[in-house]
Amino acid sequence: MRPTSIKAIGIALALAGCSNNPYPASDRAQKILYSSFSEAPKTLDPAVAYTTASHIITGNVYDTLLEYHFLKRPYELMPALAESVPAAVPHPDGGVSYLFKIRDGILFHADPCFQLSQGHGRSRKVTAADFAFELARLADPAVNSPLAGSFAQVQGFAPFAERLAGMRQADPAFAALPAHEQYKRAGGIAGVSVRSERELEIVLSEAKPQILYFFAMPFTTPVPWEAVAYYNGQAGREHFADHPVGTGPYRLAVYEKQYRMQLERNEAWYRSQASLPAAPGATFPREIDQHDIVSKQIDGDYAGRRLPFLDRINFVREREDVPRFNKFLQGYYDEGHIIKESFDAVVQNDALSPQMAARGMRLDKTVEPSIFYIGFNMDDPVVGTAAGERGRKLRQAMSLVIDAKAYLELFLNGRGVLAQTPLPPGIFGYDQNYKNPFRQLDLARAQKLLAEAGYRNGLDARTGAPLKLSFDTPNTTAQALLQYQFYVSAWRQLGLDVEINASTYNQFQAKVRRGAYQLFTWGWIADFPDPENFFFLLECGNAQSKSGGPNTANFCNGEFDRLYHEMKSLPNDARRQGLIKRMLALTEQERPWIELFHNEEYALSHAWVINSKPMGLSYPTYKYMDVDPELRSRLQSEWNVPVRWPLYLALLAIVAATIPAVRTFYRERQ
Amino acid sequence: MAAYLIRRTIYGLFTVLGVLLLLFVLFFAVTDPDDIARKAVGERARPEVYALWKKNHGYDRPLLLNRAYAADDPRRYSNTLLFDHYRRMLTFDFGNSDADDSAIARRLKEGMGPSLSLTVPLFALGLVVGVLLALFVAFFRETYIDRAVLVLCMLTMSIASLLYIIAGQYLIGMLLKWFPISGFAFDPYLAGRFLALPVLVGVVAGIGADVRLYRTIFVEESNRDYVRTARAKGCGEARVMLAHVLRNALIPILSNIVITIPFLFTGALLLESFFGIPGLGSLTVEAIQGNDFSTLRTMVYLGALLFIAGQILTDVSYALADPRVRLT
Repeated sequence: MRPTSIKAIGIALALAGCSNNPYPASDRAQKILYSSFSEAPKTLDPAVAYTTASHIITGNVYDTLLEYHFLKRPYELMPALAESVPAAVPHPDGGVSYLFKIRDGILFHADPCFQLSQGHGRSRKVTAADFAFELARLADPAVNSPLAGSFAQVQGFAPFAERLAGMRQADPAFAALPAHEQYKRAGGIAGVSVRSERELEIVLSEAKPQILYFFAMPFTTPVPWEAVAYYNGQAGREHFADHPVGTGPYRLAVYEKQYRMQLERNEAWYRSQASLPAAPGATFPREIDQHDIVSKQIDGDYAGRRLPFLDRINFVREREDVPRFNKFLQGYYDEGHIIKESFDAVVQNDALSPQMAARGMRLDKTVEPSIFYIGFNMDDPVVGTAAGERGRKLRQAMSLVIDAKAYLELFLNGRGVLAQTPLPPGIFGYDQNYKNPFRQLDLARAQKLLAEAGYRNGLDARTGAPLKLSFDTPNTTAQALLQYQFYVSAWRQLGLDVEINASTYNQFQAKVRRGAYQLFTWGWIADFPDPENFFFLLECGNAQSKSGGPNTANFCNGEFDRLYHEMKSLPNDARRQGLIKRMLALTEQERPWIELFHNEEYALSHAWVINSKPMGLSYPTYKYMDVDPELRSRLQSEWNVPVRWPLYLALLAIVAATIPAVRTFYRERQ
Repeated sequence: MAAYLIRRTIYGLFTVLGVLLLLFVLFFAVTDPDDIARKAVGERARPEVYALWKKNHGYDRPLLLNRAYAADDPRRYSNTLLFDHYRRMLTFDFGNSDADDSAIARRLKEGMGPSLSLTVPLFALGLVVGVLLALFVAFFRETYIDRAVLVLCMLTMSIASLLYIIAGQYLIGMLLKWFPISGFAFDPYLAGRFLALPVLVGVVAGIGADVRLYRTIFVEESNRDYVRTARAKGCGEARVMLAHVLRNALIPILSNIVITIPFLFTGALLLESFFGIPGLGSLTVEAIQGNDFSTLRTMVYLGALLFIAGQILTDVSYALADPRVRLT
């Protein structure tokens, strides 16, 4: 046999044993959920982690005092590590307090850090002091928690931070002590009291019902001081930001963040007799909507069963969308997101395409509690408050010509709900029947308003010069420029000359800090499901030009602020509804924003994924999910049979092409 | 040769100092350390957090001159960003990443293995396939095989490498289902399955230019007198090509390949990124995307060092391959 033939057979044999399955055969029968991530988490420190990439880990590794009910909408808080959702206790001085009673028998994940207090590699019970320690970390300037400002109403929160910073500066020996020692010596936060081993009291200087939502976020999870002291990056140990030690249903088993992450079931989770009774967060909810069962988002048989169901969750890093999506189509990822390039093949008529539905795939849609908008810098003399009625009419006119529906269809495959106000669906105060009169396309009315503003056909009636505006954007990609061009074209119908000033994110931020902008586009995804978390973006105290806050439009309206402050401390009742209505009427007329849309997430999952209903609010729901490994293995095998004939054909073609050349060559030589 | 190597190394050192100066201008004079800090700790961080971050990363010092010290105090010059930049780079103390505070040296160590596991087979297979194919084409020069292969080479050179990656993943991973579309395993047995596709794609993407270059060299050598003499003496065509032509064509081939050897350590940017290989190429892409200046600075510096090393290696390889070449 000729050597080339042997080589060809060798390749063919090698390929015959090939498969595109990226996972070891030994894992096929196991209850493992396969998922992917694109950005490596920057930190897993629960006091700092604020991105979805981090939350897929911290949301599973750390438990919280409260949590959202998995299935109820609007969102409802229920007890988790706390025995109940505490009621606000008013104080004579106008403050309020909340007393959390912590479940008994909750254990931290077993970790070597506990040798500092318990001996070798053991765990220990969670106490109220662990929550107080984490709250002190939130206040600690060196930790740099993005949520520190949200706890300003906790009595003594800011003074504690100042005291701590001062003591560190004054005494380097103090600064070198472990964090828990420093906090103890600095006296702790006055409004955070450890009443007993299982009782934690939080005292606020004023009513703030929204504070409870923060106790459903990993920011306020119990953190063992031992973990922070032990994982300090010294003596070959990791940093605490890379080594979480929590109480959650899963523990982090593998963390090679550039490559893969692996969560493993925490066998000790709510296993003690003391911790389990009446712990709603540890069992699958019984209140299941029939619609969820029919749509197969939830399997009714799981009601009342102990959580979690998955043994392992594997996350593999996929930086690029296309390979990630293709691997999902092959069945190697259990859940996926639709990429723009394949949208039409996956979704048809707002539902799964017949081809995808035939594979048993499911499409879950969730409207995010978000708002995307174009903002006006209200400090600007032309488009802002100082321009008075002229400026208001100019903003109203510009709002009337932006076709957000066309924008959604052109750039986001229609994934979104048109925004009429800053409030998205699912948030108290949202009215789905409300139509904002300045968010309905009406060119004639816009032209009339513009003329009334003194800018007929875009010309300034006073000077005769065309009105030139600048649209500052934080993205310089070609795709983003096309999107901005869409808005500019709409304004061009009015004769307005709007110039796009595209800059990098950093440059844009610098412009915002300097106040050197007129129009901008921005978005916000809520931290918690309350109207306050949207209206604060328009409160004067949060104006960028005054406090560097998130009110980038610099909208300052006394009446709006008065209503906001009254509304934010009220429960969701008729009075609050009335106040919200008045606030919305103000934003409708004043137009600091042109509301565009509320983002809609389309998530895909395979037939073998059970209980795939998304939660929204960036909360992972893995503890409720399950998989059918047998069905997965069978379908993966069916979908991924290697196609070998092209290889044989290619080898044949090479041989066929070579033989005549060899013959010609030898004939010529002879 | 020793004297030559010492001289080249000294030249190289001066080049490195120049590169470091250029890097300093690019990374510090153009980019404000405040912006780097803001990007790292967040826009809304408190001023003391910025200050702490800058202090921890050494960005709190002045660029060239520290006026906090007296004119005769050496710290006026040593306690500056410029001095620290030179000190760190020349002692290979790369510090921590601006993005996530991880030690850059550790990231380099972790990423080198995956990068080499991709680039070494890619380099070796690309070289073997390129040389063999070029020899084959040179052997059949002026036949339809020669012309067809040259047209194919031109075609492969005209296509962007990104397209090879996407098409390779779709065709071989998705449609033919021969190999996983992407992924990596540190276990050498499992790694082969993941690396087969990127290596194949990399070889195909780079083969056109190599074959054209090597073919030209081989054809030129084939027309020389010593080849004619060998044939006249009855030497077989295969022996002529492999023992005579190939050996004498080694010098220009060496100049093409030796300079690339050091870069095997820095990985392949696009291949690693698209195939999910956690190597140094991915690290560089991530540093660019994440404004991680300290990592990016390190990678550019290492790239410059490796380039200089590659040039010296090429000169040495000339001398080793051709006894007529003397390095003086």
